[in-house]
Amino acid sequence: MKKHILQRTLSKLLIYTVLTLVFIVAIFPVLYTLLGSFKGNMELLTEGNRLFPRKFVLDNYKQAWQIANFSQYTLNSLFMSGSIVLGTIISCTIAGYVFERGHFKGKNLIFTLVVSSMFVSLGSLTLYPVFMIAKFFGINKSLWGVIIIRVFGLNVTNLFIARAYIRTISYEIDESAMLDGCSFFQIYHTMILPLLKPLVATIAILEFRHSWNDYLMPLVFTLSNPKRMPLIVGIMELKSSGEAATSWNLMLAGSSIALIPMIVVYLIFNRNFIEGLTAGSVKG
Amino acid sequence: MRTNPLTKPKYDPNSVQAVVMLAPMLIGFFLFTYVPIFYILRYSFYQSNGFTETWIGVENFVRIFTRDLPYWKSLGNAFLLSFGKLAVEIPLALLLAVFLNKALKGTGFFRVMLFLPAIISTAITGLIFSLMFASFNGIINEMLLNIGWIARPISWFSRKWSAMLVLGIASVWNNYGINMIFFLMALQSVPKELYESADIDGISSVRKFFHITLPMIGPTFQVVVLMAIVGSLKMADLILASTNGQPAGQTEVVMTYVFKYFFGYDGRTVSVGFASAMALITGIILALVSLVYLKTSNKLGHSMD
Repeated sequence: MKKHILQRTLSKLLIYTVLTLVFIVAIFPVLYTLLGSFKGNMELLTEGNRLFPRKFVLDNYKQAWQIANFSQYTLNSLFMSGSIVLGTIISCTIAGYVFERGHFKGKNLIFTLVVSSMFVSLGSLTLYPVFMIAKFFGINKSLWGVIIIRVFGLNVTNLFIARAYIRTISYEIDESAMLDGCSFFQIYHTMILPLLKPLVATIAILEFRHSWNDYLMPLVFTLSNPKRMPLIVGIMELKSSGEAATSWNLMLAGSSIALIPMIVVYLIFNRNFIEGLTAGSVKG
Repeated sequence: MRTNPLTKPKYDPNSVQAVVMLAPMLIGFFLFTYVPIFYILRYSFYQSNGFTETWIGVENFVRIFTRDLPYWKSLGNAFLLSFGKLAVEIPLALLLAVFLNKALKGTGFFRVMLFLPAIISTAITGLIFSLMFASFNGIINEMLLNIGWIARPISWFSRKWSAMLVLGIASVWNNYGINMIFFLMALQSVPKELYESADIDGISSVRKFFHITLPMIGPTFQVVVLMAIVGSLKMADLILASTNGQPAGQTEVVMTYVFKYFFGYDGRTVSVGFASAMALITGIILALVSLVYLKTSNKLGHSMD
């Protein structure tokens, strides 16, 4: 019996040690960035190797905000992510609703075509043709292109989540609404949509994470129009500008500006985050 | 697509509404998913700088297979980096999931915190790690100097292997969380009774893990690993944001290599046709990898039963 208790205590100790070690490794880079952003420029250049700043200063933020255009980048990021989140909520709930409840010829064929696109895995390799198509429609020089592509491009993962969620809603709701004379769209608009709050939260969080963190597509769409760059692209631009060595302070402050909203949203909605990410991917 | 229900009464108005509601997304989907694939198919037989184009038959493919060693090197790097880091990432994610599944005190906190890196932009991850591992004034070098593991600062990004090591660490840091959560979800669906009866038989935890846990989460494990492999092979942001292929293209991966030819990025000339051909071949290779993986992992799964 005694041996048993000892064994248990030891295994608990081992578990907590491993978890704590990984915890430190997990948050260290984040702390490094956030704390580093408060160091003075001199301190960064001569003592970039300390974790905690000797003196907390806000100079980097001021400089990033005023001189390095980060106020504009932040606005751009908010605009892009906000539009994508709103647009995707509408487009994905509609698509999920139509595929789940709608009846029309060829529905299953279209659904198969949509789903089978997942097996063609080209990733960022299709970015150039996508860009050229955007150019054809004249939406290749601003974030509107990214927004339109993300909203109407129909993310298969989101579609799966939406369809699966709407499937759990009882048909009786549709039927009684139909008896009241509601059309297909009215049922979506007045009956189904109000029931989708948890689904909307999941999609909103998935899309916020994706669009706020996205790099390559917004990079391509703002190459010729730096004023429209979102935060992530703006920060990377500093790195590749050749003045990387002297702009550590701006990169750290910029990264913090990009990280903080994400972390705050995550800490508040961490449950939805984790559930949403797994719901989407395992089904896909 | 616009059908008026009044003139064509044989259509159910609700079906018409359904089609109209879906139409914007369908158009967008075919435009931004299928058309690009045909675009790539077509242009892989052309030489094009984005403005003019000439049909050159299979010349692009001949060039890839006979004269473009850097493409194959970048493909090799993608495989090396992916399998190297997954060899650490997958066991780590599984171990953490098993630990978090023990329902000990504080696991809620650990779950939230250990998942934190997964919400952070891959590009920012690349940037932060390249700052932390900087040769001059980098915090990692300083820490290693202080413990006495190294005598002089290491120039991490000036040699291939050390640069690949940093990329691997950064990628594991960014991605283990999502796999950990997948495994955790799978573990939570394993019936508790199985463990209880094993406890009665006095079976050790290690044997329980290999004889109950692993077979029970097998299907999830198979899918998660497949997604991790394909996802890692498609890695691009991390490399662009940290080494950008340096030193001398030795850390270039296939996605960044092709990307640069498409857009004329990083000093390359725009070669849409050549890039399309490379994209096509890469797509085929990725599909083959998935296929081979599924075949072998199915076999392994059956031999375990």
